[in-house]
Amino acid sequence: MQVREYLIRRLMILPLLVIGTSIIVFTLTRVGGSPIGIYLSHEMSQEEVAEIEARYHLDDPLPVQYLYWAGGVLRGDLGWSGISAGPVTQVMPDKIAASLELAVAAGIVAVTLGVGLGTFAGARRNRLPDHIARIFSISGASMPTFWFAIILLIVFWVYLGWFPVGRSTTALFTSIEHPTGLYTVDALLAGNLRAFGDALWHLVLPAVTLGYGATAIIARMMRSSLVEELQEDYVDAARAKGLAERVVLKRHARRNALIPTVTVIGLSFGFLLQGSVVTEIIFQWPGMGRWMADAVLRGDQATIMAYVLFTSVLFLGVNLVVDIVYAYLDRRVVLGD
Amino acid sequence: MTESTMPIASIRDLRIHFRSKAGVVHAVDGVSFDIRRGETLGLVGETGCGKSVTARSLLRLNPMPPGIHAGGTVEFRGAGELPVELTGVDESTLRAIRGNRIAMIFQDPGKALNPGLTVREQIAEVFYQHRADELLDDIGLTDRAGLVRTLIAREASLRSRWIERGLLRVPPLRAHRAALRRAVDDRVTDALAETQIPNPRAVMDRYPHELSGGMRQRVMIAQALACNPDLLIADEPTTALDVTVQARILDLINDLQRRHDTAVLYISHDLSLVRRVCDRVVVMYAGKIVETGPTEDLFANPSHPYTRGLLAAIPSASHQRGALAAIEGTVPELVDPDPGCRFATRCGFATPMCETTDPGLAPVAADHEVACFIHHPVPGGVGPAYEKAAT
Repeated sequence: MQVREYLIRRLMILPLLVIGTSIIVFTLTRVGGSPIGIYLSHEMSQEEVAEIEARYHLDDPLPVQYLYWAGGVLRGDLGWSGISAGPVTQVMPDKIAASLELAVAAGIVAVTLGVGLGTFAGARRNRLPDHIARIFSISGASMPTFWFAIILLIVFWVYLGWFPVGRSTTALFTSIEHPTGLYTVDALLAGNLRAFGDALWHLVLPAVTLGYGATAIIARMMRSSLVEELQEDYVDAARAKGLAERVVLKRHARRNALIPTVTVIGLSFGFLLQGSVVTEIIFQWPGMGRWMADAVLRGDQATIMAYVLFTSVLFLGVNLVVDIVYAYLDRRVVLGD
Repeated sequence: MTESTMPIASIRDLRIHFRSKAGVVHAVDGVSFDIRRGETLGLVGETGCGKSVTARSLLRLNPMPPGIHAGGTVEFRGAGELPVELTGVDESTLRAIRGNRIAMIFQDPGKALNPGLTVREQIAEVFYQHRADELLDDIGLTDRAGLVRTLIAREASLRSRWIERGLLRVPPLRAHRAALRRAVDDRVTDALAETQIPNPRAVMDRYPHELSGGMRQRVMIAQALACNPDLLIADEPTTALDVTVQARILDLINDLQRRHDTAVLYISHDLSLVRRVCDRVVVMYAGKIVETGPTEDLFANPSHPYTRGLLAAIPSASHQRGALAAIEGTVPELVDPDPGCRFATRCGFATPMCETTDPGLAPVAADHEVACFIHHPVPGGVGPAYEKAAT
């Protein structure tokens, strides 16, 4: 099947999946309590509460309530975010941009380090470099994020003072326009190199923290699939042609070893994109993860629903991209099968 | 000896061992034979007898470690070149021989072709690797100096890095790169046409999984013979193919071999195939050669009990159902083997001395050698004999 045809078909199914997910989450959220909970005070009488409930259709049956919510979404109204004191649609783009910027930075760290390290280790199977790489990646996969983040914070912020926390130096960034919400891109668009450096500088610690875990998983996957590929006949056949070991490794084995790794990379990137609660809180990064954590703790249901909508679309999108990349790398894959 | 009568390759007392958890496996243990220019030599034996390891040592393809080169030499004499001792030669000389002077086709072409590269890309690699200078000649860049030539030359010999490949997409260089591609494509087409693939231009852009087994093996053969090698190693080239395709592939190899005067080393466990295509046969058992001779002579007068057993096990139309002979017992462990004849434990004629003394190869007829005491003098003692066992 052609890529375009496949894309259209998948995009047609996408809304159905989003509706399904949102119904489940809507129901579960309502089970957790009334959405007006955070706006009520103890002095209100029963009648006053009932009046508010009636105003927001909360006395209707749950399916009807869902339809009111879904109708709002279709009109571009995601509700009022209590914790941010503003409409969700106004607050969310900045949060998404912050998380996206961090996720891309962490993703670059994870993919380059992960694929590089995995290739390096796989080509030197069971020798010293492989063991060192294994220690590095197992620690990445098993170390709790909060602990690793705090260690980085203590060493590089408190003691050495090499890297800052937060997202930017406020004075620098109030002076420039923010057309995209991605501070590095905004700084470049404004032609302000100092601001660009500052934005990058702020990205380092959270990106390393967030990327390390993903690096580990990608490196392990890359190593094991490379080891497998290196035992295939076509590798010997490539050597028998007189090709240099570098060409055999990069052009032949690594390319095929990337196929299973791409799935892992795609999923990791999805997890990075939805924002990391722990990393964002520790490094004071104003992204989706921190926003979500606040919303859950304070029962802000409009924010929670908006977040769920975002992540479900996100993962469906990531899966789609992975499928297409997969078909590009592995020519035997027929899309749509 | 003049060059034309010198063997193309001589293996002398080759020993290749493998380290394993159970101990050191003596996979190849003192094997010596010659491959003569233009001949077809069959290397026969059952699975695990060391025939593939022996053949792969001609390209130094055995993984080391776990493999150990425990002794012996592999000497290769390419046409008009000085002899090269392959076990000790440096990496770049070895690579100049691989795929160029000695090529190999594998048992399963479905696995030996890279699933992620087109036929064109895979065959082109051979030309890039070994014919880069000629390719530059083809596109008239040989005499030019400077950056253009350097970059194209690096691209033509598969040495360019990603940044250089990026540069090659930029207009002034792009034309040269396209010319290089066309020059390679012409050669790839010719190589494919040699193997009687219909419509080679169309096949070039296919991926291996889009081709049938027979077509894939033809692509493998085109790739192996692209540089017109002196020696072709064929490791069970037809085992993975349909019976109907087998014969055609064999005829193809035979035909190409004759036209290019290539020596072929057939590795096989299929005796009827070997009988059909080979000039001479080497029979291996448990890491050693037990018998070697001209095909006709060896099939008419099999002299080693193992060879006799193998021949008796070939089914033919005249056999009764269920009357196939089998050799009793199993192949011995090759971890720290006994000093005697390896076949002694399964041999119907074995005497006590067979278990303690290695018979070694000795001639029984012109060009026909056997490693068995039935045929040559026994150092002090009574040897085995066919007649005695029969009574």
